[in-house]
Amino acid sequence: MRLYQLAILVTMPGPIRSVTPQQTATLRAVVDTIVPADEYPSGTEAGVLDYLDGQFGGDLAGSRACYGAGLDAVDAEAGETYGTRFDLLDPVQREALLRALESGDTRTPWPFDAAVFVSTVVGHVMEGFYGDPGNGGNRDAVSWRMIGFEVGE
Amino acid sequence: MMRVDAVVIGSGAGGGVAAAVLAQAGKQVLVLERGRDLTFEQIGRDHLRNHRIARYAHRSGPDYEDSPRVIVDEAGNEQQVRAHEPGFHGNATLVGGGTRLYGAQAWRFLPADFAMAGTYGVPAGSSLADWPVGYDDLAPSYERAEWEIGVCGDHTASRRHWTRAKPYPMPPLPEGLQARALRRGADALGWDVLPVPMLINSVPYAGRAACTRCRHCVGFACPAEAKNGSHNTVLRRALATGRTRLLAEAVAERVTCDSAGRVTGVRWVDRSGARHVVEAEVVVCAAGAIETARLLQNSPTRREPQGLGNNHDQVGRHLQGHAYAWALGEMDEDVHDGLGPGVSLATLGFAHHNEGVVGGAMLADEFIPLPIAFWAWNLPPDVPRWGAGNKRYMRENYRRVMRVGGPVQEIPSPHARTRLDRHVRDRWGIPVARLSGTTHPETLRTAAYIAGRAREWLLASGARRAWTAEVPLRLYAGQHQSGTCRMGDDERTSVVDRWGRVHGHDNLYVVDASVHVTNGAVNPVLTVMALAYRAAERLCADW
Ligand SMILES: Cc1cc2nc3c(=O)[nH]c(=O)nc-3n(C[C@H](O)[C@H](O)[C@H](O)COP(=O)(O)OP(=O)(O)OC[C@H]3O[C@@H](n4cnc5c(N)ncnc54)[C@H](O)[C@@H]3O)c2cc1C
Repeated sequence: MRLYQLAILVTMPGPIRSVTPQQTATLRAVVDTIVPADEYPSGTEAGVLDYLDGQFGGDLAGSRACYGAGLDAVDAEAGETYGTRFDLLDPVQREALLRALESGDTRTPWPFDAAVFVSTVVGHVMEGFYGDPGNGGNRDAVSWRMIGFEVGE
Repeated sequence: MMRVDAVVIGSGAGGGVAAAVLAQAGKQVLVLERGRDLTFEQIGRDHLRNHRIARYAHRSGPDYEDSPRVIVDEAGNEQQVRAHEPGFHGNATLVGGGTRLYGAQAWRFLPADFAMAGTYGVPAGSSLADWPVGYDDLAPSYERAEWEIGVCGDHTASRRHWTRAKPYPMPPLPEGLQARALRRGADALGWDVLPVPMLINSVPYAGRAACTRCRHCVGFACPAEAKNGSHNTVLRRALATGRTRLLAEAVAERVTCDSAGRVTGVRWVDRSGARHVVEAEVVVCAAGAIETARLLQNSPTRREPQGLGNNHDQVGRHLQGHAYAWALGEMDEDVHDGLGPGVSLATLGFAHHNEGVVGGAMLADEFIPLPIAFWAWNLPPDVPRWGAGNKRYMRENYRRVMRVGGPVQEIPSPHARTRLDRHVRDRWGIPVARLSGTTHPETLRTAAYIAGRAREWLLASGARRAWTAEVPLRLYAGQHQSGTCRMGDDERTSVVDRWGRVHGHDNLYVVDASVHVTNGAVNPVLTVMALAYRAAERLCADW
């Protein structure tokens, strides 16, 4: 499922919203749940937010509103389940929450299918992490070196 | 008004060859190419926008804004799809067509590929048929394609499968870790294997360098020009005669025809939308299987109201490509050595005569997967799609997971077809292609059998586990699209004769994958090239 399809699912009233500071904090936490830090950098450390930023001004320009609404909904879920914002949860809670949403297990109203939102964001994060550095993410080709795509260089 | 001897529509595999043969025979040739004339830098090494994995609009055509297609599913639901989306069934659209970016596997069809109906009988509901020509008719043209475009391969091993007069002009590329593992497995199983012949310079050839073994081969342009396609061989030779003009961003809209049925030229549109007409003695269609059919359908006359060559409702039917059957294996050792192109070793042991199924497929290892493609397609089903476990699996197994797969010869269906959509038009106002139907269900039985052999090969080669997935019942008509103007002696069941000439039209030819009756148990491009040589040579001889 791609984001243009998600865009069809969304019926957002009013003008397109841009990503707010709170949404950015949530996004940061979501990205680092999808690609957490270990011996190698996390998603945000490898530049996934830069990738997304570039895409929001390009291929994904039409999807910013969906992102905003989806991130708000993730935060609302965190509030409902844990009584706090998503970015304030510990890594285990964050992962459990996203896994629940991915399987369609929601507790608050969503403007669109939560599972589609999670799988769409996962796809974009992986594009930023494993795509070529020319797309703005994968800083210094760190993921390529991590997996050994680049051999002998 | 422009006037030439021949207009060639499309500069890909078939069109490039036809242009060269015609120009070298002294004809004035105009090549119309819908796509742009792109440099290596413009095509780039973008891992998200290429003809291997297209997450976003292509950089190497078809251009996003040019034309959608309409796809109709089994339930009759229709959807508009854009060029990079699944369901579009596209091929590269730029000067050189598919050959600029292809993986360059250079297979001759096997003798039995030309006689599928005779070998297996015709499954109910399918349009399986024999070709009007056989392997021996095409062998000299295969040889010409191998030498003039440039193929590396192993003559001795290949001779076990084909009668071959001359060796390949170049030896195969050195084998890497994937081939080493697979040779071990084949030995254990007692299977015959051979190096995959490639349209790649393994050594310097025809004034161009040898392959540098980079990791961006399939789906990308070659920085060393060591991958041989129309753009750096036949088109170049056609232009060198001084008798060829190649116009990029020139879309053929309609083949024009007089009331007696004689083709008079082509109407085409430039980038600005301006219409032009070029008059010609001969028109050669090579726009690829979907676009050639669309062009003929969009050229109706009083005598042929459904389009040229279409009075028997054959243009656009039998649309096929290849269903890919595969397995992935997780090996105990690294099999990724970073040396492209990746695909290296094949078996033809299951291409034909498999117990209980019709046809079969060549099986071989995979091109080096881009990391994002590996994430999207190569992970075992039990590994989470994200999180720490996903990252660890990517890190520990990118170099160890190997795919073996192959193009399953489709059992064609007359209901798999492309037509003109009645409502949707492209940016120039031309009706778009409307695709419907699926492959015949027999194709899936063969695919399941082939996936089983792929799995067996991986396990014998040292995989600690292997997995596969079911091949779904749908249309397969993307990069290997073919069959829409099939070749035959009977004009009621085919569109062109054995020389590529459209039935009922002395001066209208089709020389692309459209003419394939069936699409082989191997990749199709060398057959497109060979048929184009054969058709164009005959056309010049009779002129
Ligand atoms: C990434 C990739 C990998 C591949 N790997 C292999 C491989 O390893 N081995 C193999 O055998 N095959 C491979 N193929 C397939 C192979 O490229 C095709 O089978 C082959 O190019 C088909 O030749 P064709 O002449 O029918 O069409 P094409 O090569 O597609 O040429 C058609 C041309 O016509 C142009 N055109 C279309 N409509 C119009 C119009 N109205 N006016 C003017 N021009 C038009 C198109 O832009 C295109 O350039 C691959 C293809 C791709 C994209």
